Amino acid sequence: MIRRKLLRALPAAIAIIGVVLLLPSRSEAYAGPGAGFAVLSSFWTLFVAFLYSLYAFFTWPFRHLVRLVRRRKAYGKAQIKRAVILGFDGMDPELAQRFINQGMLPNLAKLREQGTFQKLRTTFPAISPVAWSTFMTGVNPGKHNIYDFLARDLNNYLPFLSSAEIRGPKRSIKIGKYTLPLGKPRIKGMRHGTPFWHWLGKAGIFCSVIRVPVTFPPEKFPGVLLSGMCVPDLKGSQGTFCLCTTRTSSDKFREGGVRVPIEPRRSGWQSYIPGPEDPLQDGSGRELRVPFEIYPDTEKKQARLSVGSEHFTIKVGEYSEWIPVKFKAELGFGARGICRFYLKELSPEVEVYVTPVNIDPGKPDLPISHPVTYSIYLSKLFGPYATLGLAEDTWALNEDVLDDDAFLAQCYSNHEDRERMLFDALEKTQQGLCACVFDTTDRVQHMFWRYLDEDHPAAREVPKNRRPKVIEQLYSRMDALIGRVMEQIDQETLLLVVSDHGFKSFARCVNLNAWLHQNGYLALKDNKAESGDWFEDVDWSRTRAYTMGLNGLYLNLKGREREGIVAEGAEAEALKEELRSKLNGLADPASGRIGITGVFDCDAVYAGPYVDNAPDLIVGYGDGYRASWDSVMGKVTGQIFEDNLKAWSGDHCIDPRLVPGVLFSNRKIAEEKPAIVDVAPTMLKLFGLAIPGHIDGKAWTMATETAP
Amino acid sequence: MISSGLVVPSFASSLFRSNLPSILVLLISLVIGLLMVVLFRYTSDQKAIRVAKDQLKAHLLAVRLFQDQLPVVLSSYGRIVKGTGRYLQLAFKPLLLVIIPLTLLIVQLDRYLGSMPLKSGEAFLVKVRSASPDAIDSLSLQLPPQIVTTAPPVHVPADNEVVWRLSAQQDGQYDLKVEDGDQIVPKRVVVSSQLARLSSIRLRGQFWERFFVSGEPAVPENSRIQSITVTYPDRTIHFAWMEWNWIWLFFVLSLAAGFFFKTVLRIEI
Repeated sequence: MIRRKLLRALPAAIAIIGVVLLLPSRSEAYAGPGAGFAVLSSFWTLFVAFLYSLYAFFTWPFRHLVRLVRRRKAYGKAQIKRAVILGFDGMDPELAQRFINQGMLPNLAKLREQGTFQKLRTTFPAISPVAWSTFMTGVNPGKHNIYDFLARDLNNYLPFLSSAEIRGPKRSIKIGKYTLPLGKPRIKGMRHGTPFWHWLGKAGIFCSVIRVPVTFPPEKFPGVLLSGMCVPDLKGSQGTFCLCTTRTSSDKFREGGVRVPIEPRRSGWQSYIPGPEDPLQDGSGRELRVPFEIYPDTEKKQARLSVGSEHFTIKVGEYSEWIPVKFKAELGFGARGICRFYLKELSPEVEVYVTPVNIDPGKPDLPISHPVTYSIYLSKLFGPYATLGLAEDTWALNEDVLDDDAFLAQCYSNHEDRERMLFDALEKTQQGLCACVFDTTDRVQHMFWRYLDEDHPAAREVPKNRRPKVIEQLYSRMDALIGRVMEQIDQETLLLVVSDHGFKSFARCVNLNAWLHQNGYLALKDNKAESGDWFEDVDWSRTRAYTMGLNGLYLNLKGREREGIVAEGAEAEALKEELRSKLNGLADPASGRIGITGVFDCDAVYAGPYVDNAPDLIVGYGDGYRASWDSVMGKVTGQIFEDNLKAWSGDHCIDPRLVPGVLFSNRKIAEEKPAIVDVAPTMLKLFGLAIPGHIDGKAWTMATETAP
Repeated sequence: MISSGLVVPSFASSLFRSNLPSILVLLISLVIGLLMVVLFRYTSDQKAIRVAKDQLKAHLLAVRLFQDQLPVVLSSYGRIVKGTGRYLQLAFKPLLLVIIPLTLLIVQLDRYLGSMPLKSGEAFLVKVRSASPDAIDSLSLQLPPQIVTTAPPVHVPADNEVVWRLSAQQDGQYDLKVEDGDQIVPKRVVVSSQLARLSSIRLRGQFWERFFVSGEPAVPENSRIQSITVTYPDRTIHFAWMEWNWIWLFFVLSLAAGFFFKTVLRIEI
């Protein structure tokens, strides 16, 4: 024992003796650039920190005074010191209830017993970007302008991302073969309305907001925010993975990924990661690439990968760390990102999966936080993390590029990063608002509902006793997280656990475009029987209605759509009524079950300045049904109903009345039918702020005491 | 008649000779800068250093991001102090490994670059210190013919010292012989306009001091003479429109080189 202690102390002793013996004098005081850097940077860090602290310390009384004056408005009437909102995207109240009753979720059970557990009414439609936009603004979609992930271009019937638009710089200069961008890319947020943390921030209440969907581009407000769902990858897409493989295949992935060949190279293999378009070759479509090499060691079932100056070894079935990659264009232009590599196979073929290239949070090419330094701060504190809005690669699992375990490993790795961010925000926000949304609940339920469902087409071959309990484990994990959060908060802190919607099985697909075609509302060119993606073969001059996206049904309105034929007014109203009556109660011929349980007129469910952008009708699918993969992409097929055989087996884009979210709280909430639209006004009320007149939600009445 | 082909090399050679110390310091700094960062790379825990630096930056950013919350600012400052300690701890091991060869190198370089040799005709002092005031009266100096005294010796009993003022008549390396009774202790003097290895002091005992400042064998242990000092003028190096002590120039240039190479070679320091 003593010997071990002595051995441990030996290096320190040698160090001290060394310094004493070589006690430098005069010129020998300097021991090279390594030491110089160490000493200089340490001194510099301490000096800068000291200056910062001094500044913060001396200006604090003045800022505190200003805040006191401001806070009189807010905290003067505030009922709480701090609010912690945990957003569990897609947590389902029926499942939560079932698992609580089975004793699996002790912390949620505690909240149910001592505080509140209710269903939380969601939005029309029950889609995350729509519901979370309503959550933060307290208004219906007619006032915030988000109706789906996608919106349609009225000029060409093509889709675009509904939440944000990214365009090149305003000006560029053409020099020879180059188009030099002058300035930064332009990012325009399409979501309207003011998030409630803006009101709180203005009143001097500090807010930490982490990964709430539809917060890209990040807006300025007095607080910190990390953007969530809708942050693009480096290609500008919502996530494009890459499968590098030696297998030759001409098949393309339906969406979300590209296949890249791996070719032999001396002692190993080489491939590349496809990146964004070359910014200097305006509109040429030339993509930038980052090459990498693979040196397999089949005996050890591992490979050494070299990407630029990064070299690392991964085993088969393992992910790498986040690896920085730089896509270089000419003249010093380029883009930086991070990605992870997953070694799928080494023999007989070589396959490497590469995640979508995320914006590097430590050196963001696009702003993903407010202030910009917040994403950098988190990156320095915890290391690189996923920044892509839909960071869990559901497409890769859907396309069988990843297996269940690899997908789950990716999900929970991202989840752990998010947990670290949450606990840091909790520590930093002792007073004010701390809101954090976790996507894991949504992604895992989407992809693993097949094991929960009695007879899901995507898991019929898996015996019931061999089905993994993925969703049960997910709920337990979230419950444990709540437990740890409850340990961190005091009696004066309000805890809300909310979800934007619930979940149901997605066993059967409904191609609404096929139904419209077969019922004479949508016509195809040359009397074709089917159409390709995005209405490729649709004859607009004879089409009265069409659908794209998950729940929206549009009339081909004259004067609105470029080739519209339905007159506004009575004709449109009559057509809407006709479609509603025919679609409502549409039965699945295979089982006789109801595939569509409700069709909602946008005039009845929306009100606000952006109603004109809304779909004319919202289609509410029944339990077990959803818009087909083809229908979502504007494809017309011969079949209306078909089995869903994909891993993406659970969904919520159905009749919103069937998929309410959850509301748990550590306080009693006296509200019979709470809705997600009520969260924003409730927060304003609890912090003692006036609720603006345009807000649609109603503030809840809440017990002043927290459950012990 | 001298051809231009001969003039150019001669001019270049004289330019090189006149700027030799600065060129030498520049080259040495570049080489040391490269060697040291590479050595640092292989003797340090690069990942741990990167993490430690990142954590420091994070806590710095926290001070800025959460400046309205004094407890956060104070705790971040505490973490910065702790993080700096951790960073220095990580830099300590490689620092220890490089400090020994580098110290040896700097000591040797200082013999060449720290002082300038005496110039022909230039006056200089020789100081001999003895163990006791009684001994100074018996001290005398034997000079080679090329070196002459320019003033009588000065006895300073308070310091146990005798000081001679001398001048060399021509370039060369000479041994001044200090006599104390039967014992003779030589001291090397260099008179030159070139770069030369110098030792300004010869010492008795005092191993570490001899190691750092003397380039000559120790004075015999049985001698009453403690030290013999020759006052060489300090060297200043003209570089970038400024006069530098070589060690400061080396400090700046090797740091710059280190910064360059660490960036190019992606080494965390």
